Amino acid sequence: MVRSPAWSTLTAPLVHQNPVMLQILGICSALAVTTTLATALTMSVALTVVLTLAAGVISLIRRHIPETIRLIVQIVIIASLVIVIDQVLQAWFAELSRALSVYVGLITTNCLVLGRTEAFARHNPPPRAMIDALGNGLGYSLVLCVIGALREFFGKGALLGQTVLPLASEGGWFTPLSLMLLAPSAFFLLGLMVWAVRSLLPEQAEAPQHAPPPRAEVER
Amino acid sequence: MTKGLWTRETVALLLLAAHGPLALMWVWYGGALSRLVLALVVIGGWQLVFMLARAQAPSLAALVTALAIAMLAPQDLGVLRLSLGITFGVVMGELVFGGWGRNVVHPATVTLAFLGFGFPAFAWPGFDAPVGWAAIPAALIGCVTGVMPVGVIGGALVVGGGAALTGALPEPVLLAGGVVLVLLVADPVTSAATTPARWVNGGLYAALLVLFHSGWDGAAPVQMAVAAALLASLAAPLLDEAALALWVARRRRRHGQS
Repeated sequence: MVRSPAWSTLTAPLVHQNPVMLQILGICSALAVTTTLATALTMSVALTVVLTLAAGVISLIRRHIPETIRLIVQIVIIASLVIVIDQVLQAWFAELSRALSVYVGLITTNCLVLGRTEAFARHNPPPRAMIDALGNGLGYSLVLCVIGALREFFGKGALLGQTVLPLASEGGWFTPLSLMLLAPSAFFLLGLMVWAVRSLLPEQAEAPQHAPPPRAEVER
Repeated sequence: MTKGLWTRETVALLLLAAHGPLALMWVWYGGALSRLVLALVVIGGWQLVFMLARAQAPSLAALVTALAIAMLAPQDLGVLRLSLGITFGVVMGELVFGGWGRNVVHPATVTLAFLGFGFPAFAWPGFDAPVGWAAIPAALIGCVTGVMPVGVIGGALVVGGGAALTGALPEPVLLAGGVVLVLLVADPVTSAATTPARWVNGGLYAALLVLFHSGWDGAAPVQMAVAAALLASLAAPLLDEAALALWVARRRRRHGQS
Protein backbone atom coordinates (compact mmCIF):
# COMPACT_ATOMS: atom_id res chain seq x y z
CA MET A 1 0.00 0.00 0.00
CA VAL A 2 1.40 3.33 -1.00
CA ARG A 3 0.75 5.97 1.60
CA SER A 4 -0.14 9.38 0.32
CA PRO A 5 2.03 12.25 1.58
CA ALA A 6 -1.04 13.84 3.17
CA TRP A 7 -1.65 10.69 5.22
CA SER A 8 1.92 10.57 6.49
CA THR A 9 1.82 14.30 7.25
CA LEU A 10 -1.24 13.63 9.35
CA THR A 11 -0.05 10.52 11.18
CA ALA A 12 3.65 11.25 11.70
CA PRO A 13 3.05 13.66 14.63
CA LEU A 14 0.93 11.09 16.48
CA VAL A 15 3.78 8.95 17.81
CA HIS A 16 6.89 9.20 15.64
CA GLN A 17 7.13 13.00 15.64
CA ASN A 18 4.92 13.68 18.63
CA PRO A 19 5.24 17.38 19.50
CA VAL A 20 4.95 16.82 23.25
CA MET A 21 6.97 13.66 23.69
CA LEU A 22 9.70 14.15 21.10
CA GLN A 23 10.07 17.91 20.97
CA ILE A 24 8.78 18.56 24.52
CA LEU A 25 6.67 21.47 23.27
CA GLY A 26 3.59 22.84 24.95
CA ILE A 27 3.98 20.93 28.20
CA CYS A 28 2.95 23.88 30.37
CA SER A 29 -0.72 23.41 29.58
CA ALA A 30 -0.25 19.66 29.24
CA LEU A 31 0.72 19.56 32.91
CA ALA A 32 -1.77 22.12 34.17
CA VAL A 33 -5.09 20.95 32.75
CA THR A 34 -4.76 17.17 33.03
CA THR A 35 -6.20 16.61 36.51
CA THR A 36 -9.37 15.25 34.91
CA LEU A 37 -10.08 13.72 31.54
CA ALA A 38 -12.86 16.23 30.80
CA THR A 39 -10.60 19.28 31.05
CA ALA A 40 -7.88 17.48 29.07
CA LEU A 41 -10.36 16.67 26.29
CA THR A 42 -11.68 20.25 26.17
CA MET A 43 -8.18 21.66 26.07
CA SER A 44 -7.23 19.20 23.31
CA VAL A 45 -10.19 20.18 21.16
CA ALA A 46 -9.60 23.89 21.73
CA LEU A 47 -5.92 23.66 20.86
CA THR A 48 -6.48 21.46 17.81
CA VAL A 49 -9.13 23.81 16.41
CA VAL A 50 -7.02 26.90 17.03
CA LEU A 51 -3.91 25.30 15.58
CA THR A 52 -5.66 24.03 12.43
CA LEU A 53 -7.45 27.30 11.70
CA ALA A 54 -4.39 29.42 12.46
CA ALA A 55 -2.24 27.27 10.17
CA GLY A 56 -4.83 27.64 7.41
CA VAL A 57 -5.09 31.43 7.72
CA ILE A 58 -1.36 32.01 8.03
CA SER A 59 -0.68 29.69 5.11
CA LEU A 60 -3.23 31.59 2.98
CA ILE A 61 -1.53 34.93 3.50
CA ARG A 62 2.00 33.56 3.76
CA ARG A 63 3.22 35.48 0.71
CA HIS A 64 1.90 38.75 2.09
CA ILE A 65 3.28 38.63 5.63
CA PRO A 66 6.26 40.98 5.92
CA GLU A 67 9.25 39.01 7.16
CA THR A 68 10.16 41.48 9.88
CA ILE A 69 6.82 41.47 11.69
CA ARG A 70 5.79 37.89 10.96
CA LEU A 71 5.72 36.84 14.62
CA ILE A 72 3.39 39.69 15.53
CA VAL A 73 1.09 38.87 12.63
CA GLN A 74 1.01 35.20 13.62
CA ILE A 75 0.30 35.98 17.26
CA VAL A 76 -2.50 38.38 16.29
CA ILE A 77 -4.15 35.69 14.18
CA ILE A 78 -3.73 33.01 16.84
CA ALA A 79 -4.95 35.32 19.60
CA SER A 80 -8.08 36.25 17.64
CA LEU A 81 -8.93 32.57 17.19
CA VAL A 82 -8.23 31.86 20.87
CA ILE A 83 -10.60 34.62 21.92
CA VAL A 84 -13.33 33.15 19.72
CA ILE A 85 -12.80 29.68 21.22
CA ASP A 86 -12.72 31.11 24.73
CA GLN A 87 -16.02 32.91 24.18
CA VAL A 88 -17.59 29.75 22.77
CA LEU A 89 -16.47 27.78 25.82
CA GLN A 90 -17.76 30.44 28.19
CA ALA A 91 -21.10 30.53 26.40
CA TRP A 92 -21.84 26.82 26.16
CA PHE A 93 -19.46 25.07 28.59
CA ALA A 94 -19.27 27.55 31.45
CA GLU A 95 -18.20 24.99 34.06
CA LEU A 96 -15.38 23.54 31.97
CA SER A 97 -14.31 27.04 31.05
CA ARG A 98 -13.95 27.87 34.76
CA ALA A 99 -11.99 24.65 35.35
CA LEU A 100 -9.58 25.53 32.54
CA SER A 101 -9.20 29.09 33.91
CA VAL A 102 -6.39 30.93 32.13
CA TYR A 103 -5.07 28.01 30.14
CA VAL A 104 -7.36 28.48 27.15
CA GLY A 105 -6.12 32.05 26.88
CA LEU A 106 -2.59 30.78 27.17
CA ILE A 107 -2.98 28.76 23.96
CA THR A 108 -1.91 32.03 22.35
CA THR A 109 1.57 31.64 23.73
CA ASN A 110 1.69 27.85 23.49
CA CYS A 111 4.99 27.16 21.76
CA LEU A 112 3.44 24.22 19.94
CA VAL A 113 1.04 26.51 18.04
CA LEU A 114 3.62 29.15 17.26
CA GLY A 115 6.19 26.47 16.42
CA ARG A 116 3.98 24.81 13.78
CA THR A 117 2.82 28.06 12.19
CA GLU A 118 6.36 29.44 12.14
CA ALA A 119 8.06 26.26 10.95
CA PHE A 120 5.47 24.72 8.65
CA ALA A 121 2.48 26.87 7.75
CA ARG A 122 4.65 29.77 6.56
CA HIS A 123 6.22 27.60 3.86
CA ASN A 124 3.39 25.34 2.71
CA PRO A 125 0.04 25.69 0.90
CA PRO A 126 -3.10 25.77 3.07
CA PRO A 127 -4.24 22.13 2.66
CA ARG A 128 -0.89 20.67 3.67
CA ALA A 129 -0.43 23.21 6.46
CA MET A 130 -3.84 22.39 7.89
CA ILE A 131 -3.27 18.64 7.70
CA ASP A 132 0.05 19.04 9.48
CA ALA A 133 -1.56 21.26 12.11
CA LEU A 134 -4.38 18.78 12.60
CA GLY A 135 -1.87 15.95 13.03
CA ASN A 136 0.13 17.91 15.59
CA GLY A 137 -3.04 18.87 17.42
CA LEU A 138 -4.07 15.22 17.54
CA GLY A 139 -0.62 14.21 18.78
CA TYR A 140 -0.88 16.77 21.56
CA SER A 141 -4.42 15.59 22.31
CA LEU A 142 -3.27 11.97 22.52
CA VAL A 143 -0.67 12.75 25.19
CA LEU A 144 -3.05 15.03 27.08
CA CYS A 145 -5.86 12.48 27.13
CA VAL A 146 -3.60 9.62 28.23
CA ILE A 147 -2.16 11.68 31.09
CA GLY A 148 -5.57 13.11 32.00
CA ALA A 149 -7.17 9.65 32.03
CA LEU A 150 -4.38 8.19 34.19
CA ARG A 151 -4.47 11.09 36.66
CA GLU A 152 -8.23 11.05 37.01
CA PHE A 153 -8.36 7.25 37.24
CA PHE A 154 -5.72 6.92 39.98
CA GLY A 155 -6.35 10.25 41.67
CA LYS A 156 -10.14 10.06 41.91
CA GLY A 157 -11.03 6.53 40.89
CA ALA A 158 -13.18 7.95 38.11
CA LEU A 159 -13.20 8.56 34.36
CA LEU A 160 -15.04 11.58 32.90
CA GLY A 161 -16.66 12.06 36.31
CA GLN A 162 -18.10 8.52 36.38
CA THR A 163 -16.87 6.47 39.35
CA VAL A 164 -14.95 3.41 38.17
CA LEU A 165 -13.25 2.34 41.38
CA PRO A 166 -15.46 2.74 44.47
CA LEU A 167 -13.72 5.07 46.91
CA ALA A 168 -12.89 3.95 50.43
CA SER A 169 -14.42 7.15 51.81
CA GLU A 170 -17.76 6.17 50.25
CA GLY A 171 -17.82 2.53 51.28
CA GLY A 172 -15.64 1.08 48.50
CA TRP A 173 -12.08 -0.24 48.67
CA PHE A 174 -9.98 2.19 46.62
CA THR A 175 -7.87 4.81 48.40
CA PRO A 176 -7.11 7.51 45.83
CA LEU A 177 -3.51 8.55 45.21
CA SER A 178 -3.67 12.21 46.15
CA LEU A 179 -0.26 12.72 44.55
CA MET A 180 -1.88 12.17 41.14
CA LEU A 181 -3.85 15.40 41.54
CA LEU A 182 -0.69 17.44 42.18
CA ALA A 183 1.40 18.86 39.36
CA PRO A 184 4.53 16.70 39.95
CA SER A 185 2.67 13.54 38.99
CA ALA A 186 2.12 14.94 35.50
CA PHE A 187 5.88 15.34 35.19
CA PHE A 188 6.39 11.75 36.35
CA LEU A 189 3.77 10.39 33.95
CA LEU A 190 5.11 12.42 31.02
CA GLY A 191 8.64 11.25 31.83
CA LEU A 192 7.52 7.64 32.00
CA MET A 193 5.69 8.00 28.67
CA VAL A 194 8.77 9.50 27.03
CA TRP A 195 10.87 6.69 28.48
CA ALA A 196 8.45 4.02 27.21
CA VAL A 197 8.21 5.51 23.72
CA ARG A 198 11.97 5.93 23.42
CA SER A 199 12.52 2.36 24.56
CA LEU A 200 10.19 1.15 21.81
CA LEU A 201 11.51 3.61 19.19
CA PRO A 202 15.22 4.02 20.01
CA GLU A 203 15.72 6.42 17.09
CA GLN A 204 13.94 9.10 19.15
CA ALA A 205 16.56 9.07 21.88
CA GLU A 206 19.17 11.82 21.82
CA ALA A 207 22.84 10.94 21.59
CA PRO A 208 24.42 10.82 25.06
CA GLN A 209 26.30 13.98 26.01
CA HIS A 210 28.74 12.27 28.35
CA ALA A 211 30.37 8.86 28.33
CA PRO A 212 30.45 7.17 31.74
CA PRO A 213 33.90 6.31 33.07
CA PRO A 214 34.95 2.69 32.53
CA ARG A 215 34.01 0.32 35.31
CA ALA A 216 36.92 -0.53 37.55
CA GLU A 217 35.16 -3.24 39.52
CA VAL A 218 35.00 -5.68 36.66
CA GLU A 219 38.70 -6.52 36.44
CA ARG A 220 39.79 -8.15 39.66
CA MET B 1 42.50 2.03 45.33
CA THR B 2 40.10 0.39 42.97
CA LYS B 3 41.31 -3.19 43.21
CA GLY B 4 41.73 -3.43 46.96
CA LEU B 5 39.33 -3.99 49.79
CA TRP B 6 37.20 -0.91 49.16
CA THR B 7 34.58 -1.79 46.62
CA ARG B 8 31.08 -0.47 46.53
CA GLU B 9 29.87 -3.46 48.53
CA THR B 10 32.42 -2.84 51.32
CA VAL B 11 30.95 0.61 51.74
CA ALA B 12 27.44 -0.83 51.74
CA LEU B 13 28.37 -3.43 54.35
CA LEU B 14 30.07 -0.90 56.63
CA LEU B 15 27.08 1.40 56.27
CA LEU B 16 24.87 -1.49 57.27
CA ALA B 17 27.12 -2.21 60.26
CA ALA B 18 26.92 1.45 61.28
CA HIS B 19 23.13 1.22 61.22
CA GLY B 20 23.34 -1.89 63.43
CA PRO B 21 22.73 -0.17 66.80
CA LEU B 22 19.81 1.77 65.37
CA ALA B 23 18.23 -1.35 63.85
CA LEU B 24 18.72 -3.36 67.05
CA MET B 25 17.12 -0.73 69.26
CA TRP B 26 14.28 -0.33 66.77
CA VAL B 27 13.57 -4.08 66.75
CA TRP B 28 13.92 -4.22 70.57
CA TYR B 29 11.32 -1.49 71.01
CA GLY B 30 8.75 -3.16 68.81
CA GLY B 31 9.77 -2.38 65.24
CA ALA B 32 7.55 -3.90 62.57
CA LEU B 33 9.76 -6.62 61.09
CA SER B 34 7.07 -7.50 58.56
CA ARG B 35 7.58 -4.12 56.89
CA LEU B 36 11.32 -4.74 56.73
CA VAL B 37 10.72 -8.09 55.03
CA LEU B 38 8.24 -6.56 52.59
CA ALA B 39 10.64 -3.74 51.72
CA LEU B 40 13.46 -6.25 51.19
CA VAL B 41 11.31 -8.43 48.93
CA VAL B 42 10.13 -5.50 46.79
CA ILE B 43 13.61 -3.92 46.49
CA GLY B 44 15.18 -7.31 45.79
CA GLY B 45 12.63 -7.98 43.07
CA TRP B 46 13.35 -4.69 41.31
CA GLN B 47 17.12 -5.19 41.63
CA LEU B 48 16.66 -8.59 39.99
CA VAL B 49 14.62 -7.05 37.17
CA PHE B 50 17.26 -4.39 36.51
CA MET B 51 20.07 -6.94 36.74
CA LEU B 52 18.41 -9.09 34.08
CA ALA B 53 17.25 -6.21 31.89
CA ARG B 54 20.18 -3.79 32.10
CA ALA B 55 23.00 -5.82 33.69
CA GLN B 56 23.12 -3.60 36.77
CA ALA B 57 24.82 -5.36 39.66
CA PRO B 58 22.54 -5.61 42.70
CA SER B 59 23.86 -3.99 45.85
CA LEU B 60 23.71 -4.77 49.55
CA ALA B 61 22.76 -1.13 50.02
CA ALA B 62 19.22 -2.45 49.46
CA LEU B 63 19.35 -3.55 53.11
CA VAL B 64 20.06 0.00 54.24
CA THR B 65 17.25 1.37 52.07
CA ALA B 66 14.84 -1.27 53.35
CA LEU B 67 15.74 -0.47 56.96
CA ALA B 68 15.19 3.25 56.42
CA ILE B 69 11.81 2.66 54.75
CA ALA B 70 10.66 0.18 57.39
CA MET B 71 11.62 2.56 60.20
CA LEU B 72 10.25 5.78 58.77
CA ALA B 73 7.30 4.98 56.50
CA PRO B 74 3.78 6.01 57.61
CA GLN B 75 1.94 3.36 59.58
CA ASP B 76 -0.89 0.97 58.58
CA LEU B 77 -0.43 1.62 54.87
CA GLY B 78 -1.10 -1.96 53.84
CA VAL B 79 0.98 -4.15 51.53
CA LEU B 80 -0.24 -2.71 48.24
CA ARG B 81 0.34 0.98 48.99
CA LEU B 82 3.68 0.35 50.67
CA SER B 83 4.84 -1.75 47.71
CA LEU B 84 3.75 0.98 45.31
CA GLY B 85 5.72 3.59 47.22
CA ILE B 86 8.82 1.41 47.47
CA THR B 87 8.58 0.60 43.78
CA PHE B 88 8.42 4.26 42.85
CA GLY B 89 11.25 5.24 45.17
CA VAL B 90 13.62 2.44 44.26
CA VAL B 91 13.02 2.48 40.51
CA MET B 92 12.71 6.24 39.91
CA GLY B 93 15.08 7.26 42.68
CA GLU B 94 17.90 4.81 42.19
CA LEU B 95 17.69 2.06 39.57
CA VAL B 96 16.95 4.17 36.48
CA PHE B 97 20.09 6.17 37.20
CA GLY B 98 22.22 3.02 37.08
CA GLY B 99 22.01 1.59 40.57
CA TRP B 100 23.41 2.49 43.98
CA GLY B 101 26.28 4.95 43.69
CA ARG B 102 24.84 6.85 40.73
CA ASN B 103 21.59 8.07 42.26
CA VAL B 104 20.88 11.73 42.97
CA VAL B 105 18.49 11.28 45.88
CA HIS B 106 18.25 8.48 48.41
CA PRO B 107 15.65 5.93 47.22
CA ALA B 108 14.22 5.75 50.74
CA THR B 109 13.76 9.54 50.76
CA VAL B 110 11.87 9.35 47.47
CA THR B 111 9.72 6.51 48.79
CA LEU B 112 8.89 8.37 51.99
CA ALA B 113 8.10 11.62 50.18
CA PHE B 114 5.88 9.73 47.73
CA LEU B 115 4.02 7.97 50.53
CA GLY B 116 3.71 11.18 52.54
CA PHE B 117 2.30 13.24 49.67
CA GLY B 118 0.30 10.40 48.12
CA PHE B 119 -1.41 9.18 51.29
CA PRO B 120 -1.53 12.14 53.66
CA ALA B 121 -4.16 10.50 55.89
CA PHE B 122 -1.80 7.93 57.43
CA ALA B 123 0.05 8.64 60.68
CA TRP B 124 3.83 8.90 60.77
CA PRO B 125 5.75 6.79 63.29
CA GLY B 126 7.29 8.22 66.44
CA PHE B 127 10.43 7.02 68.17
CA ASP B 128 11.11 6.03 71.77
CA ALA B 129 14.02 7.87 73.31
CA PRO B 130 16.46 4.87 73.25
CA VAL B 131 15.90 4.38 69.50
CA GLY B 132 16.62 8.06 68.94
CA TRP B 133 19.74 7.95 71.05
CA ALA B 134 20.97 4.90 69.13
CA ALA B 135 21.58 7.32 66.27
CA ILE B 136 24.66 8.53 68.14
CA PRO B 137 26.61 5.21 68.10
CA ALA B 138 25.43 4.72 64.51
CA ALA B 139 26.88 8.09 63.49
CA LEU B 140 30.09 7.35 65.44
CA ILE B 141 30.66 3.99 63.72
CA GLY B 142 29.87 5.58 60.37
CA CYS B 143 32.31 8.44 60.88
CA VAL B 144 35.13 6.27 62.30
CA THR B 145 34.91 3.77 59.45
CA GLY B 146 34.65 6.67 57.02
CA VAL B 147 31.43 5.66 55.27
CA MET B 148 29.42 8.57 56.63
CA PRO B 149 30.54 12.10 55.81
CA VAL B 150 31.81 13.75 59.02
CA GLY B 151 31.02 17.21 57.68
CA VAL B 152 27.32 16.49 57.15
CA ILE B 153 26.89 15.14 60.67
CA GLY B 154 29.05 17.91 62.10
CA GLY B 155 27.13 20.64 60.31
CA ALA B 156 23.82 19.19 61.45
CA LEU B 157 25.13 18.92 65.01
CA VAL B 158 26.30 22.53 65.09
CA VAL B 159 23.05 24.00 63.77
CA GLY B 160 20.70 21.44 65.33
CA GLY B 161 22.53 21.44 68.67
CA GLY B 162 22.46 25.22 68.79
CA ALA B 163 18.75 25.22 68.05
CA ALA B 164 18.14 22.58 70.72
CA LEU B 165 20.05 24.61 73.31
CA THR B 166 17.98 27.68 72.61
CA GLY B 167 14.82 25.60 72.79
CA ALA B 168 13.89 25.80 69.12
CA LEU B 169 13.87 22.00 68.75
CA PRO B 170 11.93 19.98 71.36
CA GLU B 171 12.86 16.38 72.11
CA PRO B 172 10.54 14.45 69.73
CA VAL B 173 11.71 16.52 66.76
CA LEU B 174 15.32 16.12 67.87
CA LEU B 175 14.99 12.32 68.09
CA ALA B 176 13.29 12.01 64.71
CA GLY B 177 15.79 14.45 63.21
CA GLY B 178 18.71 12.41 64.53
CA VAL B 179 17.38 9.13 63.18
CA VAL B 180 16.65 10.67 59.76
CA LEU B 181 20.07 12.34 59.77
CA VAL B 182 21.80 9.00 60.17
CA LEU B 183 19.51 7.02 57.88
CA LEU B 184 18.91 9.42 54.99
CA VAL B 185 21.00 12.59 55.12
CA ALA B 186 24.43 11.18 56.01
CA ASP B 187 24.35 8.89 53.02
CA PRO B 188 27.74 8.65 51.28
CA VAL B 189 26.17 8.79 47.80
CA THR B 190 23.58 11.52 47.92
CA SER B 191 25.10 13.99 50.38
CA ALA B 192 27.54 16.64 49.19
CA ALA B 193 30.99 15.43 48.11
CA THR B 194 33.31 18.34 48.98
CA THR B 195 34.23 19.17 52.57
CA PRO B 196 32.84 22.71 52.82
CA ALA B 197 29.66 21.72 50.99
CA ARG B 198 29.20 18.83 53.42
CA TRP B 199 29.18 21.17 56.42
CA VAL B 200 26.69 23.43 54.67
CA ASN B 201 24.61 20.41 53.64
CA GLY B 202 24.29 19.16 57.20
CA GLY B 203 23.64 22.66 58.49
CA LEU B 204 21.00 23.20 55.82
CA TYR B 205 19.22 20.02 56.88
CA ALA B 206 19.12 21.11 60.52
CA ALA B 207 18.07 24.65 59.58
CA LEU B 208 15.23 23.33 57.43
CA LEU B 209 14.14 21.12 60.32
CA VAL B 210 14.02 24.18 62.61
CA LEU B 211 12.13 26.12 59.96
CA PHE B 212 9.57 23.35 59.45
CA HIS B 213 9.14 22.93 63.17
CA SER B 214 8.39 26.59 63.66
CA GLY B 215 6.25 27.14 60.58
CA TRP B 216 4.61 23.88 59.51
CA ASP B 217 1.42 23.32 61.50
CA GLY B 218 0.16 19.80 61.95
CA ALA B 219 3.21 17.95 60.64
CA ALA B 220 4.65 14.96 62.49
CA PRO B 221 8.35 15.14 63.52
CA VAL B 222 9.35 12.36 61.08
CA GLN B 223 7.44 14.08 58.28
CA MET B 224 9.33 17.33 58.86
CA ALA B 225 12.64 15.48 59.02
CA VAL B 226 11.95 13.58 55.78
CA ALA B 227 10.95 16.78 53.97
CA ALA B 228 14.11 18.49 55.24
CA ALA B 229 16.20 15.49 54.11
CA LEU B 230 14.65 15.59 50.63
CA LEU B 231 15.36 19.30 50.17
CA ALA B 232 18.86 19.00 51.65
CA SER B 233 19.80 16.17 49.30
CA LEU B 234 18.37 18.06 46.32
CA ALA B 235 20.54 21.03 47.29
CA ALA B 236 23.70 18.92 47.65
CA PRO B 237 24.87 19.17 43.99
CA LEU B 238 24.36 22.94 44.09
CA LEU B 239 26.44 23.20 47.26
CA ASP B 240 29.19 21.11 45.64
CA GLU B 241 29.11 23.34 42.58
CA ALA B 242 29.44 26.42 44.78
CA ALA B 243 32.32 24.87 46.74
CA LEU B 244 34.15 24.00 43.51
CA ALA B 245 33.58 27.48 42.08
CA LEU B 246 34.97 29.02 45.27
CA TRP B 247 38.01 26.74 45.09
CA VAL B 248 38.65 27.63 41.46
CA ALA B 249 38.27 31.34 42.22
CA ARG B 250 40.73 31.10 45.11
CA ARG B 251 43.26 29.26 42.94
CA ARG B 252 42.87 31.85 40.24
CA ARG B 253 43.50 34.67 42.68
CA ARG B 254 46.60 32.94 43.98
CA HIS B 255 48.13 31.73 40.73
CA GLY B 256 46.63 34.12 38.19
CA GLN B 257 44.74 33.20 35.06
CA SER B 258 45.68 29.93 33.44
